[in-house]
Amino acid sequence: MSTHAATLYARRNRKSKFWLALCYAATGFGLFSLFLILCALFYEGFSGLNMAVFTEMTPPPGSAGGLLNAIVGSLILTFLGVLVGTPLGLLAGTYMAEYGRGSKFTTSVRFLNDILLSAPSIVIGLFIYEIVVAPMGHFSGIAGVFALALLVVPIVTRTTEDMLLLVPRPLTEAASALGMPRSYVITKVTYRAALSGLITGVLLATARISGETAPLLFTALNNQFFSADLNAPLASLPVIIFQFALSPYKDWQRLAWSGALLITLSVLILSIIARVLGTRKIAK
Amino acid sequence: MVDILAESKAFTTVRKDQRERVFKAFKSSDGFYRFITFSAALTILVLLGGVIVSLVIGSLPTFRAFGLDFLVTEAWNPVSDKYGAMAPIYGTLVTSVIAMAIALPVGLGIAIFLSELCPDALKRPIGIAVELLAGIPSIIYGLWGLFILAPFLQAYVQPALISAFAPVPVLSSLFAGPPYGIGLLTASVILSVMILPFITSISRDVFQTVPAVLKEAAYGIGCTKWEVITKVIIPYTTTGVAGGAMLALGRALGETMAVTFVIGNAHRISTSLFAPATTISASIANEFTEAVGDLYTSALISLGLILFVITFIVLALARLLLMRAQAHV
Amino acid sequence: MNSDAPLPQKLTIRNLNFYYGDSLALKNISLPFYAHKVTALIGPSGCGKSTLLRVLNRMYDLYPRQRAEGEVLLDGENILAPQQDLNLLRSRVGMVFQKPTPFPMSIYENIAFGIRLYEKLPKSELDDRVETALKGAALWNEVKDKLHASGLALSGGQQQRLCIARTVAIQPEVILFDEPCSALDPISTAKVEELIDELKDTYTIIIVTHNMQQAARVSEYTAFMYLGDLIEFDVTSRLFTTPERQETQNYITGRFG
Repeated sequence: MSTHAATLYARRNRKSKFWLALCYAATGFGLFSLFLILCALFYEGFSGLNMAVFTEMTPPPGSAGGLLNAIVGSLILTFLGVLVGTPLGLLAGTYMAEYGRGSKFTTSVRFLNDILLSAPSIVIGLFIYEIVVAPMGHFSGIAGVFALALLVVPIVTRTTEDMLLLVPRPLTEAASALGMPRSYVITKVTYRAALSGLITGVLLATARISGETAPLLFTALNNQFFSADLNAPLASLPVIIFQFALSPYKDWQRLAWSGALLITLSVLILSIIARVLGTRKIAK
Repeated sequence: MVDILAESKAFTTVRKDQRERVFKAFKSSDGFYRFITFSAALTILVLLGGVIVSLVIGSLPTFRAFGLDFLVTEAWNPVSDKYGAMAPIYGTLVTSVIAMAIALPVGLGIAIFLSELCPDALKRPIGIAVELLAGIPSIIYGLWGLFILAPFLQAYVQPALISAFAPVPVLSSLFAGPPYGIGLLTASVILSVMILPFITSISRDVFQTVPAVLKEAAYGIGCTKWEVITKVIIPYTTTGVAGGAMLALGRALGETMAVTFVIGNAHRISTSLFAPATTISASIANEFTEAVGDLYTSALISLGLILFVITFIVLALARLLLMRAQAHV
Repeated sequence: MNSDAPLPQKLTIRNLNFYYGDSLALKNISLPFYAHKVTALIGPSGCGKSTLLRVLNRMYDLYPRQRAEGEVLLDGENILAPQQDLNLLRSRVGMVFQKPTPFPMSIYENIAFGIRLYEKLPKSELDDRVETALKGAALWNEVKDKLHASGLALSGGQQQRLCIARTVAIQPEVILFDEPCSALDPISTAKVEELIDELKDTYTIIIVTHNMQQAARVSEYTAFMYLGDLIEFDVTSRLFTTPERQETQNYITGRFG
């Protein structure tokens, strides 16, 4: 190798090393951000966490209290949101993977569903405000349920289609070969074979909506008191966090951190379960 | 032989009659299921259509009152009932662009690390960490931005930047004014951390579609690792990476809570990145429940419509790019 | 049996053409399948033998862009006719697949499920039917103590016999086997072959195989196919010893395929 080529090679090598070092730095930056966020969350969250958080109502400004009404509200909203949104997503995904497999209609539904999937959730909130809150004349828990359900639908639709397409064809053919109509094949065999994948989708959707705030701001609104009435405004953790964090009161801010910790932990647990189920599916 | 056949034939006829009814039931059950699943799929289209129609109807009063001037007016005055969308649009675009400028190189760097540099043992934990970052609800980012990042920037970063760029003509106005902590830059930084995992995970996935032989061929002619990355891997995956970036941009444009906490909610356009500002989603989140008067509400809904149109275009582009990338593989 | 008396034909294929989209996969096939006989379809991969099998229960109907022209008569009725009820057809013409396809449910349910589709039976009668089916598939002794274990927990050979039991349980008239032993070990293969031999007393059997020894062992009639054409159809022993066509000769002596 000539000296010229050797120096050129050394230079190329240096350049490569330099840029790769930046890639390491980028990874370091990403992990460090995550670390900082989790540290702050756990430190602030746990320092404010006590039994009162789970047993007392949200307090008036300047006094201590808990998050009970918000926790209950969030559970109600999330549960009902998933309950309302899942069947629609499940059925739509079924059509796309089975009856309408490969059709133009399916392609366009998938395309628009994917857009709905990443559409700003606050716009979904506006939509529900217009079609539920405005006609009813007041904010209500049921409006919040619809807003969250609308966020669940595209996620469940997407995972349902993907998971049903993964079911091996010979299995569905074998079911058809027994003379079963398509609807039996789907409901009795295909769903069963894809079960863990379908549950994963529902869990992911649950995780996604349990931290959603924006669409609740002007649908379920908030409630300082304990209520399970879907026809009235309903408290929820995210909205309480938003309100309390931006307040000047230390007690409220501490409760906001505790609420944030609770939400993150539940999202984390849901994701872990979803992940375990998901890998079991692949292992098979 | 003939006996057996005759016997089986008789048996067959009986069974056929008996089953005829079953098959009729099958037909209707199948038709029914086909119908309800199709209706569900159709409902998704109806919902999306409903979102658009309801936003358009809600926006009508605004555009009737201000016309298209609404888009280019900066003033936002609930007292005199005069509204313009310029400031929130400006804030939305600026925060998203800065967030992309930070997140795109960093996200790609992490994706390169994960697919080309990372030892196998670390791939899974770091991959999970990235997904964790994506799973954290946006309100947590907002909380963190407000209580941790903003005070930090206010105390250390912003004063340093202000004094460092004071003598430079253009940059001095970008980094001017009192260091509030909250404002455009802080919102952009939070956004960039939020969209990082989207860019990383999609880029990593498309990087993994590069055939090993292609990389081996490049190494075979003596390319350095960086040359393989820039000359083979990235050109091969441009479409997919661009799709991932657009998807992240769509997120950034529509993100509400993380921004609302730290943007400062001020309806004005200032050249300084440290100044409080607003974005479309932050304006809606902050003001909607307090909006009194039909025009005020309508103006906020118009903002929602504008946001939806922008993100729709960006997301549609993202999906088209990703579809093309998938076809290409 | 008197070889010149005409045998009753359970299934008759007349001038069948089959298309995948625009490409012609089966070319003008005419072929009889005799009642209570085992007919083997052999030929190199891609010759259309599996395609032909999938016409007989119209499995191809599950996929768009696949279509068949011509006539396939089941007891004299054209099953390719558009008004043919596919569920009815498939309940009369059962199919066993290349790879075992147990449903994700218990062994018992795998079989009871098919029966329940067509008949409402009291529990005890259903138990009897499941037992009969499992015995018919020579599986009863191996699984009678774990009927409620998952069908997926069985070995490959057992799974395949479970699938046969499942097919038999709904009492079809014809059973199609699509390379049923290609995923099985020699011992399981022998068991399945024995089973096929027993089943022909009750059913008309058509088996696709790429294994010529297997065709010779289990079938009475053999059709040799090549590139979508039916080259030769004859009594198995004659086809394997004195084939009339050169292509058949080449294939069975291992010169291609």
